[in-house]
Amino acid sequence: MPETSKMKKPDVKVVLLGDMNVGKTSLLHRYTERKFKDTISTVGGAFFLKQWGPYNISIWDTAGREQFHGLGSMYCRGAAAIILTYDVTNWQSLAELEERFLSLTDTANHDCIYAVVGNKADLTDPTAQQSQDTDGMSEDQTECEDRTEPEVLSTSLTSSASPKQVTHEDAMALYGRILRYKGLEEKSSLPAEKMCFETSAKTGYNVDTLFETLFDLVLPSILRKRNEYQESPTVDLEECRGGSSKRARSSCC
Amino acid sequence: MSVKAFELVPAVERDLLMGDKARINIECIECCGKHLYVGTNDCFIHHFLLDEVTSSKGKLSYSAQKLLHKYLGLKKPVAELRAASALERLIVLCDGIVFLVDMVTLETVPSAAGGGAKIRGVTAFCINENPVNGDPFCVEMGVLSSKRRTVQIYMVYEDRVQLVKELTTPEQPCAVSLDGYFLCLALATQYMILNYNTGASQDLFPYNSEERRPIVKRIGREEFLLAAPGGLGMFANAEGVSQRAPVNWSESVIGAAVCFPYVVALDESFITIHSMLDQQLKQTLSFRDGHILQDFEGKVILASTKAVYVLVPLPLERQIQDLLASHRVEEALILTEGAQRNIPKDKFQILHKRILQQAGFIQFGQLQFLEAKEHFRKGQLDVRELISLYPLLLPASSSFTRCHPPLHEFADLNHLAQGDQEKVLRCKKFLISYLGEVRSTEVANGCREDVDTALLKLYAEQDHESLLDLLASDNACLLADSVPWLEKYHKYFALGLLYHYNGQDSAALQLWIRVVDGDLQDSTRSDLYEYIVDFLCSCFNLDLVWKYADWALRKDPTTGVHIFTRRPVCKGQTQLNPDDVITYLGKHDQALLLYLEHLVLERRIQKEKFHTHLAVLYLERVLLLLSQLPTDEEKLTRARERLQALLRESNLYRVQFLLGKMENSEQLLLERATLHGKLEEHDKALHILVHKLRDFPSAEAFCIWASSSRDSAYRQQLFHLLLGVYLDGNPPGKSQTAAGGGSGDLEMAAVDLLNRHGEVFDAVRVLRMLPEGWSLQLLRPFLGRAVRASMHACRTSQIALGLAHSENLQLLHDRLKERKKPIFVSEKKGCHLCHNTFSEPSVVCLPGGVPVHTHCIAQRVRDSPTKRQLTNSSNHT
Repeated sequence: MPETSKMKKPDVKVVLLGDMNVGKTSLLHRYTERKFKDTISTVGGAFFLKQWGPYNISIWDTAGREQFHGLGSMYCRGAAAIILTYDVTNWQSLAELEERFLSLTDTANHDCIYAVVGNKADLTDPTAQQSQDTDGMSEDQTECEDRTEPEVLSTSLTSSASPKQVTHEDAMALYGRILRYKGLEEKSSLPAEKMCFETSAKTGYNVDTLFETLFDLVLPSILRKRNEYQESPTVDLEECRGGSSKRARSSCC
Repeated sequence: MSVKAFELVPAVERDLLMGDKARINIECIECCGKHLYVGTNDCFIHHFLLDEVTSSKGKLSYSAQKLLHKYLGLKKPVAELRAASALERLIVLCDGIVFLVDMVTLETVPSAAGGGAKIRGVTAFCINENPVNGDPFCVEMGVLSSKRRTVQIYMVYEDRVQLVKELTTPEQPCAVSLDGYFLCLALATQYMILNYNTGASQDLFPYNSEERRPIVKRIGREEFLLAAPGGLGMFANAEGVSQRAPVNWSESVIGAAVCFPYVVALDESFITIHSMLDQQLKQTLSFRDGHILQDFEGKVILASTKAVYVLVPLPLERQIQDLLASHRVEEALILTEGAQRNIPKDKFQILHKRILQQAGFIQFGQLQFLEAKEHFRKGQLDVRELISLYPLLLPASSSFTRCHPPLHEFADLNHLAQGDQEKVLRCKKFLISYLGEVRSTEVANGCREDVDTALLKLYAEQDHESLLDLLASDNACLLADSVPWLEKYHKYFALGLLYHYNGQDSAALQLWIRVVDGDLQDSTRSDLYEYIVDFLCSCFNLDLVWKYADWALRKDPTTGVHIFTRRPVCKGQTQLNPDDVITYLGKHDQALLLYLEHLVLERRIQKEKFHTHLAVLYLERVLLLLSQLPTDEEKLTRARERLQALLRESNLYRVQFLLGKMENSEQLLLERATLHGKLEEHDKALHILVHKLRDFPSAEAFCIWASSSRDSAYRQQLFHLLLGVYLDGNPPGKSQTAAGGGSGDLEMAAVDLLNRHGEVFDAVRVLRMLPEGWSLQLLRPFLGRAVRASMHACRTSQIALGLAHSENLQLLHDRLKERKKPIFVSEKKGCHLCHNTFSEPSVVCLPGGVPVHTHCIAQRVRDSPTKRQLTNSSNHT
């Protein structure tokens, strides 16, 4: 059951995109409920409101099915970060990102940041297999990240239970193409090493890192958005009351 | 996951509308207040008056009264009807034509001069419910026409319509909704938002309008609900952003509406109700031949082809209660909080609190204490509601009654736990922690007595360590209610504390004494006796002290006397009179001794009575020990040391009295010597020390002690006395033989004394006293020191003399310097006698320092023999 919005207005939007069955819902579920459980194919979309410090971040889980593809650009509209998700054991899922999903991001904010995430890393990568206590993993997480990079090469060569079809390099190359598609300078953008992740929703590997890295990166976007509202002539009584920040917009009951 | 959120109530039955005419179908409906208009496929408009009827059981039903029906004369179905109540007009779409009819008479309104009241070629239209135009007597209308790819905005007046805007669309539009400047359009292959003021457009998402009937429903300010591929109900605002997650309908949805917080949708055979708050399907109602679903001013009306129904929302409270009844706490709270904006603020707060409290009790019943506590806290639960679940915890005097209707279904804790003792225990532990937390907060305001008493009972029952903390600190426990409870659990110490807190110290002491004496069992404090002593020690009520000190002293005089010796000294409090205490302690010898020691040695009270009393007690103790056989040497030594110390240190006791008491004791010679010393009978003292005790070190020590606060002459005198005693030789009454060896000892003692303390003696006097026969060698250290001292004294005085002399000279010099100022003589100065200037340095100075010529003064002296004053001076410049 998706979490309720509790009527709070989000400050910023993060959208999960990707082909069906790559594990978008599981990633969100792992992050929000710290569990991995069977999910059914997402219908339409769902969203979760995450309290990140004083900010409300809405994370939209979209449906990967072709049927709902048309809704994607609506979800992406005004997004501050988009997580393009693929399945490391499925080459096609990476290809789909470029073919189908990249164009949906046209409606996102001009300064939207992109992350390319290969899920199901536990199937191919031994380091991602160990079940991580997601609560106490923030520290070893960074270590893991450093360690996995050389190992990605070796694991991609050795055959695992499921063959790894997409290497980290493939993902970084895609990231480069995304930047070109967006007409962004590679130098002035966030580096591919930082924005390409391999995760496992099943073990929790890298999941917190992924979301928390993104949240930290979208903070400037939130601040900018807030400043815009401060300049607006509308007085938001909700905000003045010191409660949760709501959009400066009067609403009629 | 079902909720009963709505009820389907028939409004207009089939026979009222069309009787038995089978081919007549409902095409459209409009509801405006109590007025219901129904358009049929045979080009009729039916006008009903719809009255709500509430039965005695609170069940809502509708009674429809047909007012009128009118044939429009076009032989085509009436496609749409919209009321413009301010204009008293119905806007009708029939046969592709929009025209106006009177709301009351249903007569077609004739065109006004110069302006048409008809629009032709219309496929669909909508009314702007949030018009930007402020004119209340015109209605803004969005119109789709059949041929061109355009949207038109019309203003509808009482008797005319006026085109104000026309916009082209990329494709043929087939459904429209309007809010402010924003048109939400379903085109052939997609939805879009179009701002008719600026012309800006925003694509929403693709949708095949030929495959599935599009739905464009304005649900609120700048927000629309759209049918999306895959049977989704998508939300989109005017910026083209979806702010709510979609709801999952079936593929064949015909109509949808929002009745907050629910989205209601109609398909061929069901009405589905989703919550906008959590996107879940909440209720499904079977509805055959569904045809129309529309909301009018918050009222959702449905129509099959033959009849009209109203979808009546159940009161929110009832929905919430239903959810709570099935223990769906989260959903109930979401629904409550979601309804916040639909309910007046004060009413909402009451409702919200109550729901939170109920939710808390449900979770409490499921032993989810953490969540329950949070809800109790947020819901500001009257904590007594919770306490009252636990039998007997609320004090008998409590005025509390449970709130009505009840917040929960439990009679009491036993009912809740169904006899499971472990559950009961967990509930009790929870209440302990909960009450512990709230008792100091405002939650407990107004019921502190109830809370504290309940907590006390729980602590006692559960043998909880915080019981004593509760009682020792500020609390509002009710005594009458707590006494039996504490007695039941043998918490006598705690009960005593409670008595004390309630000012009943006597009761507390009686109770504790019974525990110490073993009449009652309570192992709370193993040191209860010491506690009682401390208690009495700091007790302000002296009557109590007198009353119970005796018991304490009998129990243990050493500790018991602390009642008197350790009383804190503070001002403004009646102090115990030491005399009273001494009288009181009369029969407790040991305690009395300790108390006197406390007065004399610790508090240093300078009172003869106490000092004498203490000295006598010491002496009696010593005498007692001496009389016992065999003598316990160790005890005796200690007792004598104390006695001696007191005799030496104190100057207040009555010496003669004590001396009289020990006159007969030959064993207390040292003490007697000390007493003689106090009386300045040094010869007697030394006699005892030297001749009776033959304790020469003590004799020396006596001299030093007795002269310790006197000048050196006094000391010298004492030492000479001692020397005299030594040299005197045989005391009278001693036998010659004993004295023979004895006098040798005495001589040696004398020599030692001289050699050791030579500096105090007057050497000359000593030499005169010494027997002739003593060898020089024997006294060498003494004599050496004496000679050296004498020499030293001689030289020191010489130096002093010399220094004094030089000082005298120096002072003389200074005096001269101060008194004799120089007298100046120069060639320019004249003599006072002859007024000629001086030509040579030798002059005579008159008194007052006036210089004159020598010859002038000589002359003067010669002239006046009576004033023979010769001033002779030789001061030179």
